[in-house]
Amino acid sequence: MKKILLITLAAAGATSALGQTAAVSPPGRLLASNCFQCHGTDGRGSGTFERLAGESAREIAEELREMKAENKRGDIMTIHAKGYTDAQIALIADYLSKQRR
Amino acid sequence: MTIRRREFLTRMAALAAAAGYTQFSFGDDDDRRRSTSGSSTPGTTTTSALPATGINARVVVVGGGMAGATVAKFLRLWGGSGVQVTLVEKEPRYVSNILSNLVLTDAVTMSSLEFSYATLVANYGITLVQGTALAADPVTRQLTVATATGPRQLPFDRLVVAPGIDFAFPAGLETEAQRALAPHAWQAGPQTTLLRSQIRAMRTGGTFVMTVPATPYRCPPGPYERACVVADWLKRNKPGSKVLVLDANADIAAERDSFRRAFTQTHAGVIEYVPNAAVERVDTAQRKVFTSLGEFGGDVLNVIPTNVGPGLLSSLGLASAPNGFAGVDVLSYESNVARGIHVIGDASATTQPKAGHIGNQEAKVCADAILRTLAGGSPDPAPVTNSSCYSPITASTASFLTAVFGYDPATRTMKVVPGATGEALSASKDHYEDMFVWFRTLMRDSFA
Repeated sequence: MKKILLITLAAAGATSALGQTAAVSPPGRLLASNCFQCHGTDGRGSGTFERLAGESAREIAEELREMKAENKRGDIMTIHAKGYTDAQIALIADYLSKQRR
Repeated sequence: MTIRRREFLTRMAALAAAAGYTQFSFGDDDDRRRSTSGSSTPGTTTTSALPATGINARVVVVGGGMAGATVAKFLRLWGGSGVQVTLVEKEPRYVSNILSNLVLTDAVTMSSLEFSYATLVANYGITLVQGTALAADPVTRQLTVATATGPRQLPFDRLVVAPGIDFAFPAGLETEAQRALAPHAWQAGPQTTLLRSQIRAMRTGGTFVMTVPATPYRCPPGPYERACVVADWLKRNKPGSKVLVLDANADIAAERDSFRRAFTQTHAGVIEYVPNAAVERVDTAQRKVFTSLGEFGGDVLNVIPTNVGPGLLSSLGLASAPNGFAGVDVLSYESNVARGIHVIGDASATTQPKAGHIGNQEAKVCADAILRTLAGGSPDPAPVTNSSCYSPITASTASFLTAVFGYDPATRTMKVVPGATGEALSASKDHYEDMFVWFRTLMRDSFA
C-alpha cells in the first residue's frame, strides 16, 4: 500500500515536471531553432530561404529525410540534414508546421 | 518534385535579394520604417504575443553581439513577459564582423553592417543599459555596471555573459600608434575602415602582409576569406601586387579545400601562403613581421593577434579554460566554476567554432536551458547546434562551410555528427547570392 502510494506520488511528480517543461520548452522547438538562422525565426520572414512556418509536417519531414539520404556532395541542405535522426526530423517538422504562416 | 520547386523559389528569392543588395540595408532600417508607417506600433504587437509561462525571474545579459542579442531575444520570446531581461552593452549599436571583409573592397558599406538595439527593445520589451560590466557578486546576485551617469547595480537571478574576444598583441605592438600601423581589423568598425584606407594607399606592385593567429580564434575561415577578397581587389585595382599570408597554424584552419583551390588556382601568383609562421615580433617602422620562420617585409601590415578571453571573464572569475576563455557545461552554457552564470558565444571554450552563426545557436540552447531550470526542470539532455557560413572568394563568387554538432554524453562535449559537415565543391555566383540571404536572415534572427 505504502509502495503504491510512493509510486503514484513519484509518477505525479514526474508528470507535473514534464508538463511544466513542455509548457516552457515545447517538443521540437529547440531543435527547430537550428533552422531559424536561414529560414527566419519560427521559419517565418521575408527574403529568407524558403519559409517553413505552417508548411505540412509530412512534407517538411519527407524533404529532410530525402535530403539526408541523398549523396549530393557540396549541397548545404544535404549536408545539414545528416545532422538529425529521423525522430529529431519528425519533431522539427511538427514544430514548424504548427507555426503561424 | 517538391524539392525542385523549393530550390527554384529559394534561388529566385536569392537573386532578387542579391540584385538589390547594394541599395539594401541589412540592418533594421526597413523594419523601423515599416513599424513607424504601419498601423501596428513596435512594442505592442510582439510583446503582447509573448507566451505565459508562469516564470518570474530577472536575467541580465552582458554583451550585445550575436550571442548576447540572441539570448536576450529568445529569453523573452520563449520565457514570456515574466522574464525580465536587461541587456548591458557599452556600444550604442552592433557592427557585424560577418561580411566586414567586404568593406575592405567596397562590396558593402560599413553602415550596412550596423544594427541598433532599438528593435529588440521595441519588439520584445528588453531593457537596454548602455555601460560596461565591472563586477558580479554571486552571493547577492548583483552586477555592477559603469554607465555615463555613474555606477549601477543590476540584480539578477541568472547572468549570461557574452563579451566576445580580446587580443594578446605581440611584441612591437604595445602602443596605439604602433597598432594603427598594423591594424587587425578583427573587430569590425574603425579598425576595418583603417585597414581599408591603408590598402587603398598601398603602392601598385606592393605586398599586403597578413598574419593568421593560432586556433582557437574568431571566425576560422575569416582570415583566408580576407586574403581572397583583398587579392581579388588588388588584381583589378593595383595589378602586380601580392598578398602574403603568414599562418601560425600548420595548415589552413577551416574550409581547406575551398581556400587551397583559391590560393593555388583562382588567386595563383597573387596569394603566397606560408604555414607554421607564428608571429614573434612586429616592427612597424621597418614594416616587418618576425616569425618562427624568419622575417617577412611588406607595404601594408595586417596583424591579427592571438585571440584571448576578454578581461571581464577573469574579473568575474570565469576564465577557467586556456587563453582566458570560459569553460562551460554545453547543455546549458553554465560556467563550470560559477553557478548561475552562463557564458555563450566566442568567449566560451567548447569544441564548437567561435563564430556568429553558431553563437546564435548556443544562445538558443542557453535560453532554453535557463527557462527549463527556472521552471524547476533540467536542460535538454541532447542539444543540437549548427555552424554555417558563406565566404566570398572573389567579387562575385563565394563558397560555404557547414557543420551540425550533437551532444556526446561520454565526453560531455558537442561533436560533429558523422557526415554532417562539408564545404562547397566550388566557389560560385549562386553561393555569393545565397550569402546575402543568409546574412540578412541570421541578423534578423539575432537582432529583430
